[in-house]
Amino acid sequence: MLSRTDAKAAGSKIPAGRLTLTDFDLTLPALGLLVLFFVVPVAILLARSVSEPVPGFGNYAELLGSSTYLRIFANTFLVSGLVTFVSLLIGFPVAWALAVMPSRFASVVFAILLLSMWTNLLARTYAWMVLLQRTGVINKVLIGLGLIDKPLPLVNNLTGVTIGMTYIMLPFIILPLYGVIRKIDPAILQAAALCGANRWQSLVRVLLPLAMPGMAAGALMVFVMSLGYFVTPALLGGTANMMLAELIAQFVQSLVNWGMGGAAALVLLVVTLALYAVQLRFFGTDRMGGR
Amino acid sequence: MRKILALAATAATIATAMPATAADLVFSSWGGTTQDAQKISWAEKFTEKTGINVLQDGPTDYGKLKAMVEAAAVTWDVVDVEGDYAAQAGKNGLLEKLDFSVIDKSKLDPRFVTDYSVGSFYYSFVIGCNKDAVDACPKSWADLFDTEKFPGKRAFYKWSAPGVIEAALLADGVPADKLYPLDLDRAFKKLDTIKPDIIWWSGGAQSQQLLASAEAPFGSVWNGRMTALAQSGINVETSWEQNITAADSLVVPKGAKNKEAAMQFIALATSAQPQADLAKATGYAPINLDSPKLMDAELAKTLPDAQTASQVNADMTYWAENRDAIGERWYAWQAK
Repeated sequence: MLSRTDAKAAGSKIPAGRLTLTDFDLTLPALGLLVLFFVVPVAILLARSVSEPVPGFGNYAELLGSSTYLRIFANTFLVSGLVTFVSLLIGFPVAWALAVMPSRFASVVFAILLLSMWTNLLARTYAWMVLLQRTGVINKVLIGLGLIDKPLPLVNNLTGVTIGMTYIMLPFIILPLYGVIRKIDPAILQAAALCGANRWQSLVRVLLPLAMPGMAAGALMVFVMSLGYFVTPALLGGTANMMLAELIAQFVQSLVNWGMGGAAALVLLVVTLALYAVQLRFFGTDRMGGR
Repeated sequence: MRKILALAATAATIATAMPATAADLVFSSWGGTTQDAQKISWAEKFTEKTGINVLQDGPTDYGKLKAMVEAAAVTWDVVDVEGDYAAQAGKNGLLEKLDFSVIDKSKLDPRFVTDYSVGSFYYSFVIGCNKDAVDACPKSWADLFDTEKFPGKRAFYKWSAPGVIEAALLADGVPADKLYPLDLDRAFKKLDTIKPDIIWWSGGAQSQQLLASAEAPFGSVWNGRMTALAQSGINVETSWEQNITAADSLVVPKGAKNKEAAMQFIALATSAQPQADLAKATGYAPINLDSPKLMDAELAKTLPDAQTASQVNADMTYWAENRDAIGERWYAWQAK
């Protein structure tokens, strides 16, 4: 939501007076759709969390009082954190390279990035399975080269989930970072060098602080998306690495225990909204796309 | 996989209950090759006979079925579900009683008939093994749980359902006739001994992939999937020792719009020839006692029907009563 000062600063045509309903008239169909097909069903599911099987907060007590479920929460944060960290580590150099390379090369790299985003998620995840499994391509090559004797456990565990999800999240960190880095005037880095900064110092004291808004926006986005991820952890993780979304699916579909499913969904929703609030508070909506 | 795909469908149904076209019958099953075979062996025959069009839907999703019944907007007329779920859902008032004046149950395998459901087909959990990948194949459940004699990963069914717990108890030396009530403490203790060596499969195709690629060279799998692997030229061995049977069931959700047509559909689907056709296409066993006679003798030999000597029947009534409790414990144990 744009605040009035933001709107003014952006030179928008939104009148400075109080916003009225008619200012949103074009968004009404979309809002209506969201309310009908998202807000209402979610509200119903959440209502069930305090009404089934008996009214009260029993489901929440069970959810937050059980070591099994707490471990799943912890694992959800661990995986999301790891994926965010590795994405940044890999994404930053790529975004930097994209920003400085000649545009005809950059457009090829972009095409590769976008193509991977447009490929079916399931197909991509299965491809990782084929690559990572014990009898998969990577292990066969490593054994063939004599580097290892026994296949490395790369899938059905934390490693598999992290690799698979990082790969899917990379574009979401590279694109905002690219936007921010490209706007950094190369002359600033030259100035840093002229003032005696070595390459490491220019990176840590000049480039990174300037790129920070893009890094933070991308990292938050990846973290929040990872929290609710389902398909990749289900396929590449073992049962000991279960994430929250899988737990919700299990409650809703296998155990047909909607009370617990609703409770778990609310916890995930609250965490996600809290992080989103942090993002809005510190970066605003206009930075989210890295513009 | 089927559960993963079903998730989106659940969300959609909780949100909306869309009306079905009254003239058509809607049949829901698990997708893949099994539903293709049900379409050809049952649905097309039914349309030929009655003129009623059968729409295929799926995958079956228990959350979705419950949502439909509660919202009184049932779009499925006949649903293929797991046997233990059928028994439980019948008790919980989610299903219509079947009309046995339309469905002839005299020829149906009584193991799979209740007031609310009849068998759809039945299968066995057997010990499948990729012979090219290992020196020796496990023959018994005890072998499959013996990681010293048979090192390597083993594949097991991921979801809480009859099969794995029974296998663990049999492996631990519980006599087949003393399985129920299931000693869960003992079963999980036995499962703990091989937990790091288990790769879970969540759908039939995945079990085939695991065995064929030798990612898990052996495991507990549905018999029909081994037949299919053998047909595709992979050197597999199936041990039927103490094969554990479980069945899918056909049910009619409470408030189904085409109840009468649904009964007729089930009557046809469970009759001898369509059951034989389905068995031929899938490698699962017919639940109509007259079907094996209609089948090629060679083929009939590969079905669980021919393996009754050391067969163990999963107790669906027990599972129906304890499904929720076992499920919660099962998933909590898996997540540890």
